[in-house]
Amino acid sequence: MTKKSEGANEDQVKEPKRKIVPSKSQKEAKEVKSSEEEEDLLLDSGTDSDYDGDSLSGSLNSDDFDSEDDDDSHRETQDDEGSDEVVDSENGEEEDGSDDEGSEQREVAEESDSSEDEVAPRNTVGDVPLEWYKDEKHIGYDITGKKITKKEKQDKLDSFLATMDDSKNWRKVYDEYNDEEVELTKEESKLIRRMLKGEAPHADFDPYAPYVDWFKWDDAIHPLSSAPEPKRRFIPSKWEAKKVVKLVRAIRKGLIKFDKPEEEPNVYLLWGDDSASDQKSKHLTYIPPPKLKLPGHEESYNPSLEYIPSEEEKASYELMYEEDRPKFIPKRFTSLRSIPAYENALKESFDRCLDLYLCPRVRKKRINIDPESLKPKLPSRKDLRPYPNSCYLEYKGHTGPVTSISTELSGQWIASGSTDGSVRIWEVETGRCLKVWQFDEAVKCVAWNPLPDFPILAVAMGVDLFFLNTELGTDEEQQRIEELLRLDNLPELDEAAAAIAKWLPDEKYRGIKIRHFKNLSYIDWHPRGDYLSAVMPGGETRGVVIHQLSAHSTKRLPIKMRGLPVCTLFHPNHRGIFIIATKKYVRVYNLHKNGEPIKKLETGLREISSMAIHPGGDNLVVGSKEGKMCWFDMDLSSKPYKILKNHPKDITNVGFHRSYPLFASCSEDSTAYVFHGKVYSDLNENPLIVPLEILRGHSSKGGVLDCKFHPRQPWLFTAGGDSVIKLYCH
Amino acid sequence: MNGEGEDASKVIHVKFLTKLDYPFKVPVTSVVIPSSVTRLGLSSIVNSLLTLEKPEPFDFLIDGELIRMSLEQFLNAKGISAERTLEIEYIRAVAPRKEEKPSLHDDWVSAVDSSSPRFVLTGCYDGLGRIWSSPGSCTHILEGHTGAISSIAFANSEGAEGVTVATASKDRTLRLFKVDPAESGDSTTRVGAYKILCGHKASVASVAAQKYGSKVCSGSWDCTINVWDTNESTSELSVPGKKRKGNNQAEEPQLEGEAETTLVGHTQCVSSVVWPEHDVIYSCSWDHSVRRWDVETGKDSLNLYSGKALNTVDVGGEGSALVAAGGSDPILRVWDPRKPGTSAPVFQFASHSSWISACKWHTSSWFHLLSASYDGKIMLWDLRTAWPLSIIETHKDKVLCADWWKGDSVVSGGADSNLRISSGISIS
Repeated sequence: MTKKSEGANEDQVKEPKRKIVPSKSQKEAKEVKSSEEEEDLLLDSGTDSDYDGDSLSGSLNSDDFDSEDDDDSHRETQDDEGSDEVVDSENGEEEDGSDDEGSEQREVAEESDSSEDEVAPRNTVGDVPLEWYKDEKHIGYDITGKKITKKEKQDKLDSFLATMDDSKNWRKVYDEYNDEEVELTKEESKLIRRMLKGEAPHADFDPYAPYVDWFKWDDAIHPLSSAPEPKRRFIPSKWEAKKVVKLVRAIRKGLIKFDKPEEEPNVYLLWGDDSASDQKSKHLTYIPPPKLKLPGHEESYNPSLEYIPSEEEKASYELMYEEDRPKFIPKRFTSLRSIPAYENALKESFDRCLDLYLCPRVRKKRINIDPESLKPKLPSRKDLRPYPNSCYLEYKGHTGPVTSISTELSGQWIASGSTDGSVRIWEVETGRCLKVWQFDEAVKCVAWNPLPDFPILAVAMGVDLFFLNTELGTDEEQQRIEELLRLDNLPELDEAAAAIAKWLPDEKYRGIKIRHFKNLSYIDWHPRGDYLSAVMPGGETRGVVIHQLSAHSTKRLPIKMRGLPVCTLFHPNHRGIFIIATKKYVRVYNLHKNGEPIKKLETGLREISSMAIHPGGDNLVVGSKEGKMCWFDMDLSSKPYKILKNHPKDITNVGFHRSYPLFASCSEDSTAYVFHGKVYSDLNENPLIVPLEILRGHSSKGGVLDCKFHPRQPWLFTAGGDSVIKLYCH
Repeated sequence: MNGEGEDASKVIHVKFLTKLDYPFKVPVTSVVIPSSVTRLGLSSIVNSLLTLEKPEPFDFLIDGELIRMSLEQFLNAKGISAERTLEIEYIRAVAPRKEEKPSLHDDWVSAVDSSSPRFVLTGCYDGLGRIWSSPGSCTHILEGHTGAISSIAFANSEGAEGVTVATASKDRTLRLFKVDPAESGDSTTRVGAYKILCGHKASVASVAAQKYGSKVCSGSWDCTINVWDTNESTSELSVPGKKRKGNNQAEEPQLEGEAETTLVGHTQCVSSVVWPEHDVIYSCSWDHSVRRWDVETGKDSLNLYSGKALNTVDVGGEGSALVAAGGSDPILRVWDPRKPGTSAPVFQFASHSSWISACKWHTSSWFHLLSASYDGKIMLWDLRTAWPLSIIETHKDKVLCADWWKGDSVVSGGADSNLRISSGISIS
């Protein structure tokens, strides 16, 4: 070892001589740069006790900076001094850490550190694989071409011991190239640590130093370029436009999609709770069967004493009812072997199976809805006043059930017909009976002529239809009526009509009698007051005839009907439109066009009993014998707009008020119902139907047979089977 | 007396005052009475103070309000302190004390007018008008109508040569009769009309005469009110042709008159008219309104809306300005048209159970009015209390008409064909 080191020493001694000049010049230059700083640094480093790794650092750095040419010269100087130092240390002064030289060495070291320069490689073999020298005695050649001999290899054990002894061993790195051990200084190890962390190698380097903007922006008078602004800065970019067009096309074609497709979670709980997932996915309200109760301490073969019932308790169990008695009485056994077979085991497992198999484990869907909330929102009854609600006046005098009533247009009189054969006229105001006509037959139907200045009454009974002069008009009106009702010569009817009806003078009451071939069931005046339709239960064309009073003639309808007619109506506004109700259907005809059928309304009722038309003419109410009432909006549909089922028994009659939005139905259950039935002029709005009042008062015998509204007041007349007519006022 | 009063738990010092004369005046001294006494108790106290031969019912007023409950309740309700001496005014109870003999008619009595103290006029459904000088004695029969009489009125009750009576009938005419009250002997005289007023196209429902004038007005089912002249000569000139025709048909000269003015505005039957002032007519109609008409201009100056069809109207009360009307419901309503900006009734009396057929203000009292109803009752009302003062239940059927007579009697006719007079009503 000593030999080699000497050799090396020699080399080192020679080297500085050659390179003194450049190194000195460098040094001077450096000193000019920052002499004071370096002095400070020197002082600092002087305090460091052990300082040896400069050469190593130099060698390391030389590897790093091989490619850089600029620093070559500088590096060389460093190398020189570094190598000197190394030589020194290797000469054995290492342990002492001699102070006098240290200052110089450190100065050099510091210099190399600050300039980041390296020690030039002592070995000049270059960048060849060191394997080539593996078997040689030397590791290479120094700058003068002499062989650099390898250091004596230490015994492994010795080297291990040496390393163990040396506390600074962890800092030592073996340099294969130069065949030496290099010890890192503390500074260097810190540097490496920082680099490993990815920080700046120097601790005093601030990567976030405030940026100094050296360019003066504001007070530059002259632009950087004197070229004029190019035109392209002012026109829209062609390429941008093309790009946009491309994108638009792509969007149109659907190549670009904006909303991301919904990602389906491809991960799910494989072993999640089965029942819960079922519930969610299938909306099944499945209830898992209850788990069996686990055995407790009392079911142990050797339970604690407190579980064992005493004799008294056992006796008390005997007194209990079968179902109250505890199922299991704890018992003690000395060993498991002595436990007998459980006698209920089979039964209980069977029960359990039955329960699992047969018990429906689906939660019943019980909808809990307040029935009130299902009702349609209707306006309050109070807001729909006036409507008839209380009875103040009664018209008494008939001795049989009153079958039909009819109001006079001014509302001063009403006429009524009864099964006792009498037709009466009453004063509405006082309830006084003004006139009585007595006939032999039960009166079926009475009807005032709708003209105000033509107070005659049409009365249907049996096969006869009478026109009666009420003598309520002025003298002139009376004259006209008398003329009209005088049947001087019997009118000649054509054959078809003659088979049905025959006009006869009525001597007793100075009226006209028309005798039909069958019993009349219904009569109705045309709103103009000249025509009157009469309904008989006859088929085909014979069921309905129309009498003309002014011409004393009778006409058959040019309509072939299916089914027996029940009642008829003239349309209140359109003259020629005629509505016929058979038992199941309501048909609308145009008489001006030779009985062309216009409409057929399907009621869905078993048997129609009555019908009434709204004064507007577009809405029809049909009452039936099963207690149902249908409201038809004839513009809307041929099906009922509303079906009202309110009466428990047959509806006998329905009626509309002429001016108030009211309609009523009466029934054999002795009640009359009053409804609000508002028809809007706006065709988009459906009619509003609100039940208002149930009018009771007639005795239960015979029911209510007819109801008619007062023509001007919101009052309702009801004719009862108890031979009383009642007036309900608002 | 004082000693007795102290037995009760609560006593009140009261002083009885009255505007009545002897023998109904009690000495003005303070009396202690129990607070639980009612009107009957108070009445018996006053009667015992007066020591009358025949007990007399009284009504009691505190601060202008009639007592209709026990004294304690009344004081509580009104918030009057029971500490100080209470001044109670008493008046003779308004109740009929005597029922006259009923005057039987051939048919329903539909109209009555007793504005003259000498006679009572009745109209009947048999088409005859009757003049009664006293209950049960019919002096004249007014004939000529072919339909039921619906209304009757004195056109001139104080005339020099006789009394003029106007009748309205359901045969669409009005007739004017002249009756000399002096000629009435033991037997009833039949009188024919001297003038027939034609022009209504429907039944005439009501007639009313101008006070101190020669005009009558009538309301009819043809929705109009006609004003007619009762004067003989003018009408004769106006319709000479018809006069001749009348001469030919009837033996005595009969004139036909035409309406001077027609007041149009009602949309339904004009059921009742009254003519309280010289040129102001009040009318009510089935179109739910009460209107006030100015005869000179023919315009309606007031329109009260009641909501119900009205049968009867009368004007009276304080300043003859309150309008009372009843109709197709059991409520008698009183309006004060002088109150600005409101058409709500100021009083509503609702003790009847059926339509109101007649209502009349007392001629001299500001507070009293009567109402007749189809429930067969006549009720006397005082504006100072909401309860009826008394209920007359003499009729067996609907009461169709009623009126005050001589200030102390109520005359009424009804569907039981009787004219009934309840007299002895003391209204101070």
